[in-house]
Amino acid sequence: MEESDNQLLDRYAAGDESAFEELVRRHQRTIYDLAYRMLENHADAADLAQKTFVQAFLHHRTFRRASSFRTWLFQIGLNLCRNALRGRVRVPHEDVEDVILQAPQDTFATAAAAELQDRLGHAIRGLPPRQREALVLRVYHDQAFADIGAIMSCSEGTAKANYHHAVHNLRRVLVEGKGKP
Amino acid sequence: MTCQEVQDWTVAYLELDLDASCVREVTAHLEGCPSCRAEMEAVRQVLVRLKGRTVTDPGERFWSEFPAGVHRQLRDAQGKEGSPPGPSPRRRVRNHIPLRAWPLALAASVMLVAGIWLLASRLGPPNEGPAPNGQTVVQAPVKGLPDPPDLVEADWPGAWYEDPDTILVEMASSLDRRTVDRLFGEI
Repeated sequence: MEESDNQLLDRYAAGDESAFEELVRRHQRTIYDLAYRMLENHADAADLAQKTFVQAFLHHRTFRRASSFRTWLFQIGLNLCRNALRGRVRVPHEDVEDVILQAPQDTFATAAAAELQDRLGHAIRGLPPRQREALVLRVYHDQAFADIGAIMSCSEGTAKANYHHAVHNLRRVLVEGKGKP
Repeated sequence: MTCQEVQDWTVAYLELDLDASCVREVTAHLEGCPSCRAEMEAVRQVLVRLKGRTVTDPGERFWSEFPAGVHRQLRDAQGKEGSPPGPSPRRRVRNHIPLRAWPLALAASVMLVAGIWLLASRLGPPNEGPAPNGQTVVQAPVKGLPDPPDLVEADWPGAWYEDPDTILVEMASSLDRRTVDRLFGEI
């Protein structure tokens, strides 16, 4: 039977370095995904994902286990994302290698789909930060609204409202073609 | 149910986040309202498109090296903050000494303290000191030993009454050889 995150944390607290590696491996993809969807380039996402784990392990004694370890990682990761986005002076960019990897094949349908995805990406970037966070946590990480509230330090209802506004804003931009959400 | 109410609940309806009675009401409204059906479909398309946005996988090499990168950054941060993660310093020491070696470690510590005490007593206690009743006690010089040299002028290597190593060898020779080997061999 697989050990729980809390059991691994106990082992790490007792000096077992293998528990550290297991915890990182278990959550690295999730945290990288979150960081990538917020920052939209590989280098920043990789750096932020590593920082998230560093902060978690530096302060693991302060984790009260009222929520899951994953939720706690999301909280740390989102805080770091907010700081990173605040510090940005220009519009987030995509790595050249990302663009090449994601470039569609040369057909009319895929070009149209890519154009739509591009507009969607632009619309997501234009969302207010809280709406974007709620959207990412709900759509890509299947978090319950109660957990999204815990991660974003707000009530479940506020998390739900942020998500609903985000979807409606995107719908307005994509379907009605209105500028920024 | 009005069109506005249905459109407010569109996302919740698609997310299956409504109770059964609301779902029935919205479904009934949609059957007879083309504009709400169109709105519902538009929102559904947005959710489908959102779900379709994938993140490029950076590759297995990136993932296999990721924990080591975290570990390096953690060590750096730990150095800056001065508080090592993981076990407390006391627990680290405990973890590095196997349980069965603790009695031996204790015995070795006792021997060390006794050795230092013996060494100190051989070198001689201070000559003067207040007695418990307040009187000053002057200790007679030990017979056969020269007066200690003045602190400033002392030729320190020659000033030892006996070589400390010799004393330790004497102490060790008074123990059974096998006991000494066992005590120090296992620590």
